[in-house]
Amino acid sequence: MRAPGEMPPPRKGLYGFIDRRYGITPLVDFLAHKEVPIGGHSMVWYYLGGITLFFFAIQLASGVLLLAYYQPGEATSYESIRFLTTKVPFGWLVRSMHCWSAHLMILSLITHMLSTMVLKAYRTPRELTWVTGFVLFALALGFGFSGYLLPWNELAFFATAVGTDSMKAVPGIGEWLLQVMRGGTDVSINTLYRFFALHVVVLPLFTVGVVTGHLLFVQRQGMAAPMAHDKPARGMKFFPDFALRDLLLWLVCLIALASLAVFLPYGPGIPGMEWELGKKANPLAPAYPGIKPEWYFLWVYQLLKEFPAHLFGMEGSQAAIAVVSVLFGIWALVPWLDRNARASRPSPAFTDLAMAALVFLAYLMLKAWDIGGGEAVLPDPRAVARICAYWGLLFAAVTVAVRLALRSAPYFDFTAAAALQIALHGFVGLSYLAAGAISVLLLAATLAFRIVRSRNAVAVGTQP
Amino acid sequence: MIALVALLLLAAPADESKYPAPLREFLSAKNKDGSPVLSENDRKTLAAFPDHTRNLLGAAADSVILGSAAHLKILLSLELAPAAMEIVAQDNCILCHSDPGNQKAKHLFSTDPAARHANPLLNLKEFVSDVHFRRGLSCSGCHGGKPSDEMMTKDIAARWPAEEVRHSDRSWIPGFCAKCHEDAAFMRGFNPTLPTDQFAKYKGSQHGILLLQQKDSRAAQCVSCHGLHGIRNAKSRQSTVHVQRIPDTCGSCHSDPKHMEGYKLADGKPLPTTQVAQYKASVHGKALLEKGDLGAPACTGCHGSHAAMPPAVASVAQICRRCHAQNGMLFDGSRHKTAFEQHKWPECETCHGKHGITKPTDALVGNTPGTLCHDCHSQYAEGNQQCDATAASFRTALDALVAGRADIEAPVERFAERGLDVEPLSRTISELDEALVQTQSKVHTFDLSSFQAAAQPGNEAVVKGRELIAQTRREAGFRSRGLLAAIGFMALIAAGIALKLREIGKRRIT
Amino acid sequence: MPPSGEAMKRRSVLDLLLGVGVLGFLGSVLYPVLRYLKPLGAQTQNGPIKLAGEELAKLDKEHSVIVRAGATRIVVFEDSAQRLRALSARCTHEGCTVQYVPGDSVIWCACHNGRFDLDGRVVSGPPPRPLDKFSCTREADGAVVIQLGRGPEAA
Repeated sequence: MRAPGEMPPPRKGLYGFIDRRYGITPLVDFLAHKEVPIGGHSMVWYYLGGITLFFFAIQLASGVLLLAYYQPGEATSYESIRFLTTKVPFGWLVRSMHCWSAHLMILSLITHMLSTMVLKAYRTPRELTWVTGFVLFALALGFGFSGYLLPWNELAFFATAVGTDSMKAVPGIGEWLLQVMRGGTDVSINTLYRFFALHVVVLPLFTVGVVTGHLLFVQRQGMAAPMAHDKPARGMKFFPDFALRDLLLWLVCLIALASLAVFLPYGPGIPGMEWELGKKANPLAPAYPGIKPEWYFLWVYQLLKEFPAHLFGMEGSQAAIAVVSVLFGIWALVPWLDRNARASRPSPAFTDLAMAALVFLAYLMLKAWDIGGGEAVLPDPRAVARICAYWGLLFAAVTVAVRLALRSAPYFDFTAAAALQIALHGFVGLSYLAAGAISVLLLAATLAFRIVRSRNAVAVGTQP
Repeated sequence: MIALVALLLLAAPADESKYPAPLREFLSAKNKDGSPVLSENDRKTLAAFPDHTRNLLGAAADSVILGSAAHLKILLSLELAPAAMEIVAQDNCILCHSDPGNQKAKHLFSTDPAARHANPLLNLKEFVSDVHFRRGLSCSGCHGGKPSDEMMTKDIAARWPAEEVRHSDRSWIPGFCAKCHEDAAFMRGFNPTLPTDQFAKYKGSQHGILLLQQKDSRAAQCVSCHGLHGIRNAKSRQSTVHVQRIPDTCGSCHSDPKHMEGYKLADGKPLPTTQVAQYKASVHGKALLEKGDLGAPACTGCHGSHAAMPPAVASVAQICRRCHAQNGMLFDGSRHKTAFEQHKWPECETCHGKHGITKPTDALVGNTPGTLCHDCHSQYAEGNQQCDATAASFRTALDALVAGRADIEAPVERFAERGLDVEPLSRTISELDEALVQTQSKVHTFDLSSFQAAAQPGNEAVVKGRELIAQTRREAGFRSRGLLAAIGFMALIAAGIALKLREIGKRRIT
Repeated sequence: MPPSGEAMKRRSVLDLLLGVGVLGFLGSVLYPVLRYLKPLGAQTQNGPIKLAGEELAKLDKEHSVIVRAGATRIVVFEDSAQRLRALSARCTHEGCTVQYVPGDSVIWCACHNGRFDLDGRVVSGPPPRPLDKFSCTREADGAVVIQLGRGPEAA
């Protein structure tokens, strides 16, 4: 150990070269002492952010490689991708990895988001980390949507037409927004040019910026510990322990990605998760029956279908956009809405909210896949609602069982509301919106009741 | 500004108080259960007409020929354009004969005769789409009388034979229609491109001979095929003589054993009634009726329409050659041509049939019992070794091509799923298909050398296809092995990291 | 504390493992990337089709030639006025390959006697639709180039 006041000996070699010019020793010291909190079984969730970053890096690399051969244009988009996947050596591999990694990235992003939600990592002082994460989620969806059109095949063309159509519903600027997005009134090659610019320049720039912010926040504040162990007895050193484990996991992900890319180059074959090149887009052809957007948009697609043409004086699609905006708004503001977590108190309500959100999304996705609709060209909506209700409620029951098994606090209001909506719509036969309205009203009543009861308890003095 | 006002005026809903009085009465008429006779839709239809049309309807109602609100409802349900509605409103024949409150069922034109068990010819909906009605020839044009007649008069049906005979002896019908349709100068005023030789052709047709010379009224005349009150242009899909409906129109008599009783073929056997059924199962029938290929022949394509007559033996082949020219040319140069001419056999029909022509398969060719070649040769070309040998070679070569194609096509889908480049393979398969079609066509030369010349590109395609498959398999293997190698290296790194972690853990403890 | 001899051996085995793994892995990444990036040269990506030598020869001799363009076939022919044209060679009836008949100035399909005029329009027979046209030009050096792809008038 050095005596206080004694200068450290000059470092040798490359490190010394850089240190003398840029003073990186404080940074290196910081990194050397960085720790990751160890807390029970939540260790495994800490890797998800890194995995998302890893897949994003794969996207950047494979995307740059694709740029060497992809040419946007009416006569060249589809053809260049066909050329790429058939004639260019390993072109099939680059494209396949890019498509797989996109889906895996979004999957891990959503899992990462849900885990931070359950672990309450967003509580003070990490609110902005959550907000930047939310922005990254939106950017990832934007990547998925813009990239999907680039092969200019039938599937992409119609999915984009359906997807951009919903822009009309934005109040005020809806029509303008639609035309700006599409580069015209209909989806055309101009849409592709704009989406290409978005996908390759605008979104990457934004994303890299926001990711940098997100990571800086995490570095500066350290990773959040789960609440039960707010002052962990131990932390795991980031370098080399956590970093090596992280690297190991990334290798495993790469092995999985490569295998999927080689053996399932066109996706797992689930509707909404397939990317065979198919036929070139023909704007004059009638829409593809059974056209569906990518799986992460299925819930919005289905939700839009549930709204009637007119509702309470506004257009159905506008009402739907309003509902979706409110839901997103709540989600973005969770760090501030969750008072308990802010005060580092257990907050089972928001864990329940996360699970309820999953159940809500899962049911909509199942319905969007027309499960239980039968073999007819037009699936029977009642049958779909009913069969999907069985699966949705089963899923809800599983989340409840898991949480009970993990002995978390028994708060199930939100999950119950979601389950109630499913039951009312699927078994009783109410419309999706009517069932939703009833569930929301009952939920509001329950929440109000809880709040009043806790206020009384405070007044009487039985609660701090 | 003016345009806006004009638009507003035009768009303004018609003021029902300005309607003619009888119409207003109809609007307020109610059913027994209290509901209005004329629905919202009916009112809207009525409002959409210009004033002139409504005035004409009012006038018709005034004279009670437009008899009731229910009657008006029927007329409105026809969804006529104003001009057509005006014709109806001024034609007492139509008005009277469409009034359910006035006509006996036997003479009532309704929108759904089937529901009333009435004569299907009295279909009001069909009638207003009838080509004669639309060009201005209404009831009186054929039946006689005048549209303004309010009662039946002697003039009506005066031009026709007496009621007692006109249904049992229908020989007057073709001449009656021909009065207009044979007159070129007259028809030129309506449709200059419509032929005017139908009657002349009909007179020489089998139907014409039966009806006009032998007074057999079971034979088809104009009405049998074209219908009566709902005649449409033959190009319209609803016309009974549209090419896709011809088999059923002809079949309405020719598939009915009761109707065809008593008619015989040239050799004394009774006339079959299976032609339409055979046709529908045939390649032509399927093409026309299932695939919608309007180029495929219906009955009229081979038999003619107005001049319908079963084609003579010598002319069958000429008719087939209209489309199958290539095969005809090949046949003409072949030794079968002279043989068939000697035997007086109809060329194409002998092997392919006539009504029930199915897609020819390779099974027809060969020198084993059951094949066409063998079954015919064993009777008529007994002992002729060259014939048998040629037939056998044909079959072997075709089988080899087909088997080769199956071999090549089998793995394509799996390759495509694995993301391998199957485009050269697909191209080779389509080349092979073309060669196969050409080769099969060359069967009609019955000559081994030209057949083999055609089969050559096919065989080459099979070889190329097999090579491509081997190539693609090698590529698939390369991909799997490459992946395995990469995974192997990554596994090594993973193992290294795992060990390193264990070591770090151990070192920390010590 | 200096590592023991045992530990030293373990570490060098470990390092070897890692080294081989990392090098091999890098190789298995770099090799495909480098091969991917190397341009293919002769093969044109998508875009105009140039007639090969023997195809040109056939065109000069017989006034028509059928070329493959990706999945489609195109008939390139020179009419009596020395004009070079290119039409889809796939008959719109049942998909047989058509042929140019110079004597009759017609494109003929042998399968069912369908006939098209030299602009691709149906003249007689069962084909329901005309043949697609492609723009075809003879360059200064004698090469013949066909423009594929839809776009404002290809002909």
